[in-house]
Amino acid sequence: MKECLRRHRDLVQSLAVLGLIFSLAAVCSPRDWRTGGPLFLQADNLTNLLRVTTPVAMVALGMTLVILTGGIDLSVGSTLGLAAVVAALALAKWRWGGAAAIATAITVGGLVGLLNGALVALLRVPPFIITLASMIGIRGLARSWCNNENIGLRTAGDAAVRFVDTWSQKPFMIGLFAGLALLVAALLRGTVFGRYVRALGDNPTAAVYAGLPIKRVQLAVYGLTGLLAGLAGVLTAARTNTGNPNDGIAAELDVIAVVVMGGTALTGGRGGIAGTVIGALIVGILANILGLRNVDANSQLMLKAGIIVLAVVLQQRRAAR
Amino acid sequence: MKTAMPRSLFLLVAACLLAVLTGCDKPAATAAHQRLVIFSQCNNAEPYRAAQNQRFGELFGRHPELKFVIYDGQADAAKQISQIENAILQKPDLLIVAPFERNALSDVMGRAMAAGIPTICLERDIVQPNFTTFISSDNVAIGRLAGQFMVDLLTKKNGEARGNLVEITGMSGVQGAADRHRGAFEVLAKYPGIKVVHQATANWMQAEAMPRMEEALAANPRIDVVYAHNDPMAYGAYLVAKEKGRAKDIAFIGVDGLANEGAKYVAEGILAATFEYPLCVDKAVEIGIKLLEDKTFKPQPQYLLESRAITHP
Repeated sequence: MKECLRRHRDLVQSLAVLGLIFSLAAVCSPRDWRTGGPLFLQADNLTNLLRVTTPVAMVALGMTLVILTGGIDLSVGSTLGLAAVVAALALAKWRWGGAAAIATAITVGGLVGLLNGALVALLRVPPFIITLASMIGIRGLARSWCNNENIGLRTAGDAAVRFVDTWSQKPFMIGLFAGLALLVAALLRGTVFGRYVRALGDNPTAAVYAGLPIKRVQLAVYGLTGLLAGLAGVLTAARTNTGNPNDGIAAELDVIAVVVMGGTALTGGRGGIAGTVIGALIVGILANILGLRNVDANSQLMLKAGIIVLAVVLQQRRAAR
Repeated sequence: MKTAMPRSLFLLVAACLLAVLTGCDKPAATAAHQRLVIFSQCNNAEPYRAAQNQRFGELFGRHPELKFVIYDGQADAAKQISQIENAILQKPDLLIVAPFERNALSDVMGRAMAAGIPTICLERDIVQPNFTTFISSDNVAIGRLAGQFMVDLLTKKNGEARGNLVEITGMSGVQGAADRHRGAFEVLAKYPGIKVVHQATANWMQAEAMPRMEEALAANPRIDVVYAHNDPMAYGAYLVAKEKGRAKDIAFIGVDGLANEGAKYVAEGILAATFEYPLCVDKAVEIGIKLLEDKTFKPQPQYLLESRAITHP
């Protein structure tokens, strides 16, 4: 009961930050010089913002579960790149249909995730090390499968063009994310699996003594994250009309930043999907308004750094009480 | 309530950061009489691109009636697409795009055109002709110039067109590298006396060219000329050869010829020659200003700019 109340209060606070950032963005937005209204609040801009945020936010759903178990997955950016390459290869080089190409790319992502999960569960090496290794290795695999080349989709036949046109549409990308967020939230809240995920990160020793199926839970969370990274790769390929083996470089850091901003503790056990969605929106709004104001890229990086540190400091205080 | 303080502190600091960095205090909008020119650069963090940005700033700076803004795509196609979406919202009077990737940027440039924004495609082409005009320079022609220069240089050195050549290539799969290779070898292929004794890719990077040149030197007792697809790689090759005491026997050829890079190396006697890869900026500004001033002006679909050799006086 107390935990439930606390979680609600955390969420309300996160929503307050979101509201504040949103209002600040609206106030600071450059004006449309024809109508005088803020560009930030234009429907077109808000949907642009949501779509840009989708791939990272989507992977963050899975990363939330991984972090809740006390783990981490550094390989998601490379997995995203690999899936983008697989989807593009299937469509452009092997001339598969859209459905087969998409399913294969997502499956490849899932397999990478399962491999991570299996190594973490069986070898008992820290997930940081396992997924650091796969981050490096999977990037190499992605580059070697496409021979270091970018695979263009716009001129690669009907199936490829249909795929690009459908999968890059705003309602599709945003809707897909919303659906998945609800699904993962339900999984975490309403199922035994969800309780195991939290229990594992909250107190690993107790989880062992309670006889929780730890290995299966680990396989599942890394596998799910791999699937989501695969899907994000497919969306990126559609959005950029290209399978680029360098897609998603450093995306793992953006993803982790979103999860942390959303109030999920890196030590595991505490946090949830609603927070992650809010975190993604905060990061998305920040990126959008800084872009609209054309703030220098290097200053943006420094600002990001400051905000992440603040979020984590706040976290620790919350956890300590 | 003990935690209320850090939270409010956080809010305060975040608000300040945002306010400072977004410059709430500055007037945000373009003055009504000013016209807006947006340049979407694919990656500010490259010397060639930094030189472009600087030149644009100089030339557009002479037009107080224009507000000129550069967006930095940070070598990320998705980021550049999103920035162009932001640009479209602001309905600029002119949009200039140096696309990061030819497939990725094609669509969004089409949307800028559909929104009625004159759009200049700079230096790299895209898969669909979604631009008002395309301004670029010709890497094959640059390759031919370099090839002919090497033929003349070897003829002068060895009495006839023969000698051992090392080629250090740019990133494989990039059109610029393929074209700089093709142009040079269209010329070199006519002279069977010129042998390619070593060929390696260094992905445009000086740091990668150095170990490749070490390998080339170890494998070949005699090298007459090194042809690198850009100046940093040529310079890296030179540094390694100098360390091994072999730089005096070898002529180093680069491409790009930036004033504070390749052109300087030539002036210092490090490179035998470099071939200017035009910034395309002067032409873009010339055409851009015409588009802004004369609504009836119809530019050519493409402008191809000439290179020139930079050699010792």
